[in-house]
Amino acid sequence: MVAQLRTNGHRVVEAHLNGDSVKTLTGSMVAYEGKVQFKKASFGGGEGVMKTLKRKATGESLDLMECVGQGVVYLAQMGSYIELIALAGDKLSVESSALLAYESTLSTNVTFAGMHGMSAGQGLTTTSVSGHGAVAILSDGPSICLEVSPQYPVTVDPQAYLGSSGQLQQGFVTGVNWKSLIGEGSGEPFSLQFSGTGRVWIQPAER
Amino acid sequence: MGFEKMNSKVLKVSVGPGREVLARRGAMLGYTGDVRFSPVRSGGGSAGGFLGSQLSGESAAMMVAQGSGEVFYGFQGLTYAVVDLSGAEMLTVESNRLLVHDAHLNSAIVPLTAQQSGGGFRAGLRSAATGAMTGQGMFTSQLSGVGSVAVLAHGEVLELPVRADKPVIVDPQAFVAARGQVQVSLGANVSFKEARSGEMFQLTATGQGTVSVQASERKF
Repeated sequence: MVAQLRTNGHRVVEAHLNGDSVKTLTGSMVAYEGKVQFKKASFGGGEGVMKTLKRKATGESLDLMECVGQGVVYLAQMGSYIELIALAGDKLSVESSALLAYESTLSTNVTFAGMHGMSAGQGLTTTSVSGHGAVAILSDGPSICLEVSPQYPVTVDPQAYLGSSGQLQQGFVTGVNWKSLIGEGSGEPFSLQFSGTGRVWIQPAER
Repeated sequence: MGFEKMNSKVLKVSVGPGREVLARRGAMLGYTGDVRFSPVRSGGGSAGGFLGSQLSGESAAMMVAQGSGEVFYGFQGLTYAVVDLSGAEMLTVESNRLLVHDAHLNSAIVPLTAQQSGGGFRAGLRSAATGAMTGQGMFTSQLSGVGSVAVLAHGEVLELPVRADKPVIVDPQAFVAARGQVQVSLGANVSFKEARSGEMFQLTATGQGTVSVQASERKF
């Protein structure tokens, strides 16, 4: 049996360990039972040298620790809501600040995410998680999952964007016009548009 | 009993003759009826406890509500958990997490590390030092008797059973309370790698009972 993530209420995730490991955000353990060790994940979160260099170069930081052993670890982060997303061979793009934990069967990478990073102030890149297993993502308030289909593209506020999966093209919409120049803008100068087929998760709060 | 949940953040408590409650100062949101509030300093504790609480800047500044009516309590939008004590067990809770409790409960403030060693001056000093290191006040109130206690927390409260063969280890910043015959001791991880994982200090709860943990590392 492999390590498993399960929800316990809205704000706590249990990691069930059976001699294996899960990767979690550093410092997110609130309690544990059994024999579990917490290690700073090796150079670059165990992603390998090239990916770590890429991460360093792009400023897409990810501060992870590895929980190894036998038992149950309870994970939570500042009372945030937590969403478990199951991946079956597909890829989830996620804001690195929203990533709480993922099962050891998954791997992470840094991907270029177009222009949205610039407007969100999060760099031009995003973290991607792929493989078979569950990912726990943090959401300020209960998260909302939006379905995207070819007829129905979805436009979201970059500051509320958590992650996305599926065959999606990412675009960038500006609402900047002459009103913005005289300080009469709507306060929503940039938006992220997704088209194709897939899902987009947002949180009911702006970072 | 007299504690009624309005929602996850506001608690209604009925006060009457012979039924006074002690609450955290400033936690009263509103009341109906004829209720008076006056400040008290709860928990005598040992000399070490007093010294330690002065050092760590932690004290249980409480107020008593007397008269007859209903009082609404809440604090900084934090959530809370209500614990009903049957008289057979003791609740150990960090002093500054107490929202409100029945005034007839026995309470004492003790340094956390002194629970096994019996308290005193040195234990107080040691506790203040560890409190400073973990960034968490390690002074706890011990409440016993028959009555209700409301304890503050950030996020949700998770209750984990503790058995003799199954100790529970808790992040000091997420520790809320322990109930029953539970001993809580502070330990540090010596391995360098583990220290860097951000989980260097840990509280180990052993014995028989439950330990309450909040879904957050936000300290008070």
